[in-house]
Amino acid sequence: MKLSRRHVLQGLGGAMLGLPVLEGLLPRKAQAAEAGALPFAIFLRQADGVAAAQSTSELGNEPERFWPEPLGNLSTTTLAGKSLVELADHRARLLVVRNVNMKDYNYGDGHARGAIQCLTARGPAVEGVGGDSEASGESLDHRIGRELNPQKRDSLYLYAGQAGGWLGGPCISHRGSATRRAALHDPWLAYQTMVGGPGGLTPEAREQLLVRQKSLNDLVSGQLKALQSRPELSSTDRQRLDLHLSNVRDLEVALSCRARADEELRLQQQAPGYNSTDGDEVLATVRLHMDIAVLAVACGTTRSVAIQVGNGNDSATRYRDPTTGQLMENFHYISHRRTSHDASGGIIAGSDVLHSRVDAQFAQTFNYLLDRLAAYTLPDGKKLVDQGVSVWFNDLGNGPAHSARHIPFILAGSCNGYLKQGVAVTAAGGNANPNLNKMLNTIGTAVGLKNAAGGALDDFGDPTLPKGLLTELLA
Amino acid sequence: MARRRRWKSSALLAASLSFLSACEGQISDAANPRNPGPGGTNNPPPAGVEQPARSVRVARLTHAQWVASVKDLLKLDAAPTTLAQSFRADPSQSGFLFDNDARALSVDEALWGAYQRAAADLAGQVATDATKLGKLLPAGSTTDETRAKAFVESFGLRALRRPLTADEVEAYLVLYRQGPKAYPTMAAFQGGLRMVLEGFLQSPLFLYRVERSTQAADGKVPLDAFEVASRLSYSLWNSMPDDALFAAAREGLLAKREGVAAEARRMMADPRARDVVDAYHQAVFDVPRYASIRPNTTRFPNVTAKLSESAAKENTLFVQDVVFGRKGRFADLLTSRDTFVNDELARIYGLTGTFTADFVPVALDGAQRRGVLTQVGFLASHATSVDPDPIHRGVFLSEHLLCQKIGAPPANIPALPAPNGRTNREVVSSHTEAPGTVCASCHATLINPLGFPFENFDAVGGYRTTDNGHPVDAASTPGIGGQKVSVKDALDMADALANAQAVHECYARHWVEFLSGRPVAEEDGALVARLGKLSQAGQLPIVDLVVEVVTGVGFVNRHPEELP
Repeated sequence: MKLSRRHVLQGLGGAMLGLPVLEGLLPRKAQAAEAGALPFAIFLRQADGVAAAQSTSELGNEPERFWPEPLGNLSTTTLAGKSLVELADHRARLLVVRNVNMKDYNYGDGHARGAIQCLTARGPAVEGVGGDSEASGESLDHRIGRELNPQKRDSLYLYAGQAGGWLGGPCISHRGSATRRAALHDPWLAYQTMVGGPGGLTPEAREQLLVRQKSLNDLVSGQLKALQSRPELSSTDRQRLDLHLSNVRDLEVALSCRARADEELRLQQQAPGYNSTDGDEVLATVRLHMDIAVLAVACGTTRSVAIQVGNGNDSATRYRDPTTGQLMENFHYISHRRTSHDASGGIIAGSDVLHSRVDAQFAQTFNYLLDRLAAYTLPDGKKLVDQGVSVWFNDLGNGPAHSARHIPFILAGSCNGYLKQGVAVTAAGGNANPNLNKMLNTIGTAVGLKNAAGGALDDFGDPTLPKGLLTELLA
Repeated sequence: MARRRRWKSSALLAASLSFLSACEGQISDAANPRNPGPGGTNNPPPAGVEQPARSVRVARLTHAQWVASVKDLLKLDAAPTTLAQSFRADPSQSGFLFDNDARALSVDEALWGAYQRAAADLAGQVATDATKLGKLLPAGSTTDETRAKAFVESFGLRALRRPLTADEVEAYLVLYRQGPKAYPTMAAFQGGLRMVLEGFLQSPLFLYRVERSTQAADGKVPLDAFEVASRLSYSLWNSMPDDALFAAAREGLLAKREGVAAEARRMMADPRARDVVDAYHQAVFDVPRYASIRPNTTRFPNVTAKLSESAAKENTLFVQDVVFGRKGRFADLLTSRDTFVNDELARIYGLTGTFTADFVPVALDGAQRRGVLTQVGFLASHATSVDPDPIHRGVFLSEHLLCQKIGAPPANIPALPAPNGRTNREVVSSHTEAPGTVCASCHATLINPLGFPFENFDAVGGYRTTDNGHPVDAASTPGIGGQKVSVKDALDMADALANAQAVHECYARHWVEFLSGRPVAEEDGALVARLGKLSQAGQLPIVDLVVEVVTGVGFVNRHPEELP
């Protein structure tokens, strides 16, 4: 991908970012991967289910506070009283998908089952080990980067919330079986990784850096290749060296895409609060990550970004109750409706309402992402948000029951007209069979992934699951 | 259910057969799930023969190792900790207790970029500071080019942890000669060395510990002296070899066990070994979990927010004192009542006298306390905010002290019922041990019997004799080392654990994993069994146990086959 030409894109509130023209902004076709503007996917993962209608032993019958009622065309009326109303301004570009169902693999823990399956559509590498679980295959965000990113750069995998915790913290992105990816936690580090070098350089200093790094890269590449040529190395040794070598590259492309100096300063100044349990700080970090994600997809440095909020069960973050101004119990407790990570704690009164208020804060944060994407007008007059798809999803259907059914998938942006807009649909006609793999196939195809035969991606995830897409989501 | 291939000592095998069929609790050979056995056959290794296990050949430095290595390599006054804070955290490696599993340590785009930025920063710091650079420059050369060559050779030996080949020296000199172009505002010599420094700090031969030996003899591949030196230094110091260790390598002293042992003993007496010993015990005793201590302030109004911090400090002081101060054994960690307290811990321990925020050595009440498992950190971190948590206390003992992993519980466990006048033990028993239930298969035979002996300790680790108005019942019959052992309380339990060879084997097994940076494998069985036996017999202080591991056949040799 050549990024030699530059163009200034209009950002939100008059903010101007010097961004390169995306290559070949051709008239779009209503077919994924053939559109001129390269589509992308930005994933936002929320844990612990949503405040959907359910009956719990703790609180009895809880009313619907999440899904639109009725499903169908989205309007302020169908969204009223639901957390999704926070997205009302973008309802025309939303695709709300109900009845996405995970397979009830034996992960030994509902959160592990959800968090590790959510982007892989696979069972565990080793069954029944709960918090020690690993995926048995690659996640979709990584596959998009591996196949579609320029220079096959890693897709961005970003994390917000306190480090560590259940499932070790970052746990949704995987290179392959039992090979988990490291997430970028500090937004300033994420930014520097995205642009491929230190921030804050003058153009002259950047040029000097490129010259020096070329010489150093030659040395490092030679040493890595010499190591790789040693016949005694094992396959896992080679894989690690391959990964390293793949990142020893010319920085010129990446360094050509940067935020404005004052934007860089904002990232530096606000980033130190990223390792927090305070929900306000956690969501502020998410927004910084979103700024980086938007810049990255606008520049075309990645076609995929995954943002994970909280650890495997988001057990550290305490979101703020906007009605009282107080921090709630940690989100995992709220979702369990009890003051414990299991069923032994006391019942939290009104925790279903509190859960919906957390959902609403996620909706507001997702709305921020959509606003940022929509603020970028492309040279053809269209919006960046419609060029790709932004996906706010969960890894459970609800809290106490840890349901693998009705996993929320809220999509925004049509991927150049490939996906439906403005509606809430029931996937697979309400059939309860696992279909998460088809949901991921649909997103993957929308972004441009193909199957081995060159057709639409229809075989991502567990090969034992029925192949295909959720065609009811296509425009 | 798919299972990992597993390794068991004979004692643990008996335990497994007795208690664990439904609990998934065994030692896994996670390093090699398809391990065909030594020599590529399916035959098990000869019993009692110590031998090397398969391991990686290129092991990336952990972030802690990078920090320590850079400090030592550049002879800095302060460790470059701030720079390392810009390194993304390595991903969790499920099922491995420590953070140095070499299979999980890779260099992705984010880390590579951070390495590059750190290298540029450090090279700039050193090359522009005559004092710093002077510490690294060998004396005696005349021209800039010869000085540069001498620098590359001497610095390169330390950076790559082995002598450089002529080609490698020339490659760095090529980099040196680019100094004037790369740093036009600097003097040519300093600019050239800056490039060389950057090159070494970005080199995979620095960032990875590379083992190149391939010649097998007697079914194993002896490491060369410099490879042994690196294994020693990164195991015992988490850093590069020092000059004495390089000299020992150069002089052939590491070719024999006595030479390795002499260096290991010297290194264990160095302050750098204390951090490594502490890091090991932090993981084994799960000290990071102490940060979760958050007792209910209504129930425990005198407890402060600093309790977790105090408990962690007590653990560190206690371990350091036992290992280095007293030259103690593992059994001492399990049974000693000598520890360190500040005012808050003294209050919980019921000590009389005047205490402050400073830690002082004390002897706890021998009728109440015995060893690390009766200290506040373990007890309070395995408790709810109001009650002791015998389930997780039992799980900890099983997994960390007996090396018996327990399968995850099923989802959607119903809530513990209200006490309704019962003790905590009675509530847990009634809820988890009903005959014929899936819960009972693990709880009744394995988990609860290991946890109930600690019922004399409340949610913050305070001693109690009554619970909800009833006398505490701490008697139990846990399975330890294949035997059902009757204990009347935690004191008995500490003695039972300290007397069980299986517990000592587990402790030794953790050391093998930690010092080798890989999960235990079948080939480690003989060493683990020998060390467990010696430790249980009271013949192996912890320092000596560590020395035994790093002087073992498995440590100074490679397996003839590679890790897949």
